[in-house]
Amino acid sequence: MEHLHLEHVLQTVCVLESVVLRSFGPEGGQVLFTRDTGQAMLSRSGSRILTALRLEHPLARMMVECVLKHSTVTGDGSKTFILLLASLLRMIQKTACKEPNVSHTYNSRETAEASTARHLADKMLAFALEELDDIIAMGVVPYGCCLSWEDFTAKTKLPACTINHCVQKLLASFFHSRLGRTHCDFISNLTCEMLTHWKFKRDLPSSSLQFVNDNFAALHTPVSGFPISCSRLIEGQVIHRDFATPCPQTDHQPVKAVVVTGCLQPKLLNAGEVLVLGCGEQGREENSRKESSIVQFTAWLQSLGASVLLSAVKQSAAVLALAAQAEMCIVECVSEDELSLFAQLIKIELFLFHRYVHVAFHDSEERVTVKPCSLVICGTGEGQTDQYACAFQDAIRMLLSTWKPIGITATTASKKTFQPDKSTCLHVDNQIVKASPFQQYVLEPGCVIPAGGTFEFLLNHALLQHGSSCSISDDTIMGVPAVSQLLANALLSVPRHIYSYSLRRFLQTQTRLLKTDVSSVQVFTSDSGLESVSCKYQLLVAVLQCVSSLLHVDTVLHTHTALHTPSHRLANISWEGTEDERNTNSILTSFW
Amino acid sequence: MALNGGDEDFEWEPPTEAEMKVIQARRERQDKISKLMGDYLLKGYKMLGECCDVCGTILLQDKQKKNYCVSCQELDSDVDKDNPALNAQAALSQVRERQLAAQSTAPSQAPGINEGPSSSQASVSVPLPRPEHCEGAAAGGESSPASTCCPISFTSFIPQTAGLQPVLQEAEEAILTKLRWATNQLQSSASLESSIQLCSLIASCANSLRSLKELSQ
Repeated sequence: MEHLHLEHVLQTVCVLESVVLRSFGPEGGQVLFTRDTGQAMLSRSGSRILTALRLEHPLARMMVECVLKHSTVTGDGSKTFILLLASLLRMIQKTACKEPNVSHTYNSRETAEASTARHLADKMLAFALEELDDIIAMGVVPYGCCLSWEDFTAKTKLPACTINHCVQKLLASFFHSRLGRTHCDFISNLTCEMLTHWKFKRDLPSSSLQFVNDNFAALHTPVSGFPISCSRLIEGQVIHRDFATPCPQTDHQPVKAVVVTGCLQPKLLNAGEVLVLGCGEQGREENSRKESSIVQFTAWLQSLGASVLLSAVKQSAAVLALAAQAEMCIVECVSEDELSLFAQLIKIELFLFHRYVHVAFHDSEERVTVKPCSLVICGTGEGQTDQYACAFQDAIRMLLSTWKPIGITATTASKKTFQPDKSTCLHVDNQIVKASPFQQYVLEPGCVIPAGGTFEFLLNHALLQHGSSCSISDDTIMGVPAVSQLLANALLSVPRHIYSYSLRRFLQTQTRLLKTDVSSVQVFTSDSGLESVSCKYQLLVAVLQCVSSLLHVDTVLHTHTALHTPSHRLANISWEGTEDERNTNSILTSFW
Repeated sequence: MALNGGDEDFEWEPPTEAEMKVIQARRERQDKISKLMGDYLLKGYKMLGECCDVCGTILLQDKQKKNYCVSCQELDSDVDKDNPALNAQAALSQVRERQLAAQSTAPSQAPGINEGPSSSQASVSVPLPRPEHCEGAAAGGESSPASTCCPISFTSFIPQTAGLQPVLQEAEEAILTKLRWATNQLQSSASLESSIQLCSLIASCANSLRSLKELSQ
């Protein structure tokens, strides 16, 4: 049994930070992954790097799991997560060491520090959940602008700095940080095109993003051996299986398809067995039974009137042969995602593509909801292609998070009157309408600000102002002023690392931002790209939750079970298979 | 809620200036350790769930299943550099300190050796200044002034060079032991880092021996 000290937590997170720092920021490098098989891959993705590390330390694994969970939702920010985590833990430790919290008596300094740290983390989390969105709405949002989904997918001809251009800029800066400078514009254009195709006219904008995200596996086809610039969109759906039986020529005529999820009859014939019809006396009955069932089956197939059979499972050789005879083509082992996507779309036209089945859909006159299209992603190697595919999906998730409304809680909603006006939204001529001084600031979804540490600089300033404007009665380290100051200082570590190559640049950017007048903010002329306020907010809250969980771990119990598979929840690491069940209740909870 | 109930109350006080320096130095060392561990993790080492028994750093394991502690095996030890038995510089500084102590006690002893115990007590109780960042050395070194002060006080009438002899011999022996150890380690060392450090240790041992020889002359 190992009693956990603040030092252990800090050391673990510092190690992960040093790993992640090398790839962080626009000047960050890439990590070369090599396998024993000789396969190599370059990546800058934080989650990929962290997953590739061999970590047996329970705290480290817990941290990595938090990062992965977060990046599954927002698609981005894994490295920033670790940096913020390290920075917060350091600040908490420094504060806990310096200031006494003498309301309790403790056994030792370590226990005192641990308890202070724990309470501090809880206070910060509570502060973030209650007040942070207001502070962001007041101090950060005015420096950005709001992108509306409708404008994004509008097909009108607009001048250079338009909404569509802005979403592309948002995507481009995402791809730039993930994949490098060279192809980020091309890939972001492709993503925009795909999303435009999949826009559901009558539904909420986020539902089409959600649809693309949920069905992404079925909506893209990775193809290795070609440069990324060969990637393109093709109409229809690509089913990632070849035909099991020869496909008849259809001449682009509509065909009927049948989807089956189970094994079809007959199972009477095994592979390699030869059925001789009309043979001698021996086995005649057996043969005739088989013969009749085969004839029945063939008749049934023909009665379907279908030319294509999509099967979720592998069919027997007999079925394949009979289907071929009936001039039906079968595609076996189609994945569940693809089948479900297929089932949502109607009326198919069939033709071949590479070694996959490409299904194109007719526009039905009554219900033109969406133009199905599939993304073909090319990459030089398998690993690289997989990376591009992941980057695409993460971009979709990032967009989803951007438009996710930040929770206005019941208490805050009652506190202020919600004024739904559009003055914070961008107009096509790129003028940001001045917000009236009496307007209530609301953290609207779709808000973006220039990248490059802007969010952190602005929030740092806003938090410091908030802290100093609070009543001075609460002067302890657990008071709001102290907590907001701690958070503000911890936030600065991110731009510090971004501008690690030049302290001057750091100071210049900070000064320029804080001197900028809100009304004269030009979001789109900055070269630094855009990032989503909502994603940053979610990141910050997730980091604070992780800090709180980490500091609440009191003891680590090492068990003798086998190593956990990745699907196991790490939070239960001390709960599984312990020999002494009586002690499990006290392991991961705080004693205070 | 203290675990041990009503045991002595621990009155928490903020760290002093000296302790802050210790904390700062320790933090820098921790940063170095973290960076090294990050390097190793990227090379494919595994981060274990165990800590080193000696220094408490998280252990790494290489692909040959050998455990490796970055701070013990690669960085200079935090406390070893102040332990005279392991470090030539510390030995020299201890020698100098004792010289100072001998000089300060010799005049006090001169008036009357008949005063005996009280003055020798006084000389024993003179606290020799210890280097700041060396809890281990402080613990390890505390006993030695007490044990060696007595011979100094008894031999206060003897000229100082003679009084230094046992001390110098002790230091020389310690350095020679260390030299021998370093040579052995160097022969079996596989890491470039540690070989370089061992060579520099041998060089400083040689320098210390030279200085001791000069002192004894």
